[in-house]
Amino acid sequence: MTEKNIIELRGVEKRYGTFLAASGIDLDLKEGEFFSLLGPSGCGKTTVLRMIAGFQEPTKGTVLIDGQDMDGVPANNRPTNMVFQSYAIFPHLNVGNNVAYGLRGKAPKAEIDQRVAEALEMVELGGLEDRGASELSGGQRQRVALARALIMRPKVLLLDEPLSALDKKLREQMQFEMRNLQQSLGITFVMVTHDQYEAMTMSDRIGVMFNGRLKQVDTPTTLYARPCDQQVASFIGEMNILPAQLLEENGDTLSIDAKAFGQMEIEKNPNVATSARDMNIGIRPEQLEITSEKPEDYPSTVQGKVSNVAFYGENIHYHIQVAETDKPISVSVPNYFHTVDFNRGDAVWLGVQSASVIDLGTDTE
Amino acid sequence: MRRPSTLTAYAFLYLVFLYLPVLFLPLFSFNSGTIVAFPIKGWTLDWYRKLGEQDTLIQALWNSLGVGTVVALLSTAMGLFAARAFVRYRFRGQRAAEGLVMLPLVIPGIIVASSMLVLFLFIGLKPSLLTVVLGHTFLALPFSVSILKSAFDDFDASLEEASYDLGVGVFDTFRRVTLPVVSPGIVASLLVTFTVSFDEFVLAFFLSGNQPTLPVYIWSQIRFPAKLPNVLALGSILLLSSVLLLVLAEYFRRRSSASGVQ
Repeated sequence: MTEKNIIELRGVEKRYGTFLAASGIDLDLKEGEFFSLLGPSGCGKTTVLRMIAGFQEPTKGTVLIDGQDMDGVPANNRPTNMVFQSYAIFPHLNVGNNVAYGLRGKAPKAEIDQRVAEALEMVELGGLEDRGASELSGGQRQRVALARALIMRPKVLLLDEPLSALDKKLREQMQFEMRNLQQSLGITFVMVTHDQYEAMTMSDRIGVMFNGRLKQVDTPTTLYARPCDQQVASFIGEMNILPAQLLEENGDTLSIDAKAFGQMEIEKNPNVATSARDMNIGIRPEQLEITSEKPEDYPSTVQGKVSNVAFYGENIHYHIQVAETDKPISVSVPNYFHTVDFNRGDAVWLGVQSASVIDLGTDTE
Repeated sequence: MRRPSTLTAYAFLYLVFLYLPVLFLPLFSFNSGTIVAFPIKGWTLDWYRKLGEQDTLIQALWNSLGVGTVVALLSTAMGLFAARAFVRYRFRGQRAAEGLVMLPLVIPGIIVASSMLVLFLFIGLKPSLLTVVLGHTFLALPFSVSILKSAFDDFDASLEEASYDLGVGVFDTFRRVTLPVVSPGIVASLLVTFTVSFDEFVLAFFLSGNQPTLPVYIWSQIRFPAKLPNVLALGSILLLSSVLLLVLAEYFRRRSSASGVQ
């Protein structure tokens, strides 16, 4: 990854009649990074991708690719290529001709043949040139779509929900393969996805979108540890959101009354817009300790009752009802010894370190 | 399987009523007598043999084939653009446009025929094969539009986008992706519109002037009882070829649907 911007979006807005699909989008994408646009369906992430690809023109704002203003430049003249959600494999062409499609007439046949062979080798479909489009499995279609786009040597590869049509096992395998491919090629990948795990495992940075707006752009670890508000916090992973009161603000530290967990000092979250007296804190389920006796080495504790147990295999989820909150608190415990230690109705203690408590500020919306 | 019910019996009788008269046509075309009535006198292929000797009939056949071919090409070409627009784009007046294209299916043929004749005479176009072509194209267009619309319905729009994305322009995308993918639909449309034109009588009767198409020729021959078995033989051939063409068209139409499935 370099510091050079390959894509710049400046105040981009897309309006369909009265519906605002995307607005106020400002985004710089670095050369060679794997960037994901993450959000629920209908949040405008695909619209943003299609504006970069040139299938849609922004109503307002500018799209720059490699410093060039893309206003009025049609999709076929942009240095981007796309992997479509449906893969859009041409049904009347075999694998070789699908991959060669964009090069036909632009390079000598021998060179095309060689580049097709290389591209297929790269996506591990070497030698399948003559396979018919209808004889491909879902995973193979995806690889053909990748090869067909990458053979054009784009500056940016755009991926629209590239893994959503695959089953779980294959999806996980392709996540790693695509990440490796991106790193070995050094091309910028921009992926649209609604799957937070997909975005987190593959991306250098993630942009989280809600209702046509880009809420936060950060690395996966920062997004997980310092989300900008409740909405982002609960979309990325699971989050217990609890009410709290701000007592005092000292530079980078907030002194708060965390109701259930009592008074504590937590780190101020720089991504949060506003902090008033009534605020929220977030605690990730895996960062809570659950014990039957009051845990000694945890400064903040609360007593509660197990209201639900869910066994996931690699970990166990407990729902703990505590007196001070309406919603039960989720706790996730790794499955160390193949035992489920607590049952429904058991009285338990929860403990948390103040370093695990996330300042979510005050929601203005 | 359920046992036959009254409903099954009704359906059977219905089909017999519908198709039995049609089956009499080929049956009597092999009858050696000239009167179309039972009992059948004897079996013969004479009526078929004699078809080839009649010059006016052959001329009418060529007229029909020519008109049918031109009509199939014209209405399929126009239907292709119309169908793509109807499926791909949303525009003002779309529903009205779609309705107007389909209208010839429900307007009585005699009305269309007489008003077209008046129109053509008014603009100085004498009744000829050209006016038949124009009339038949009008009549065949709803068929080609509806067949091609279903072909485009099954066509994933991102195929065209993928082609643009790979650096190919609008015209070449149409040639390299759109046409090949909908080609089974195009073949189906060509066959159906050809058949529509080939079998059409009312418009052809009004607009053909002194260049009769085959159905018009047949009608003119029915007045002569001696020629009737001949007409039956010709009609049987037409029946068989129409059915074959439509079966072929349906095969291609289904293939176009199947190719769209990912």
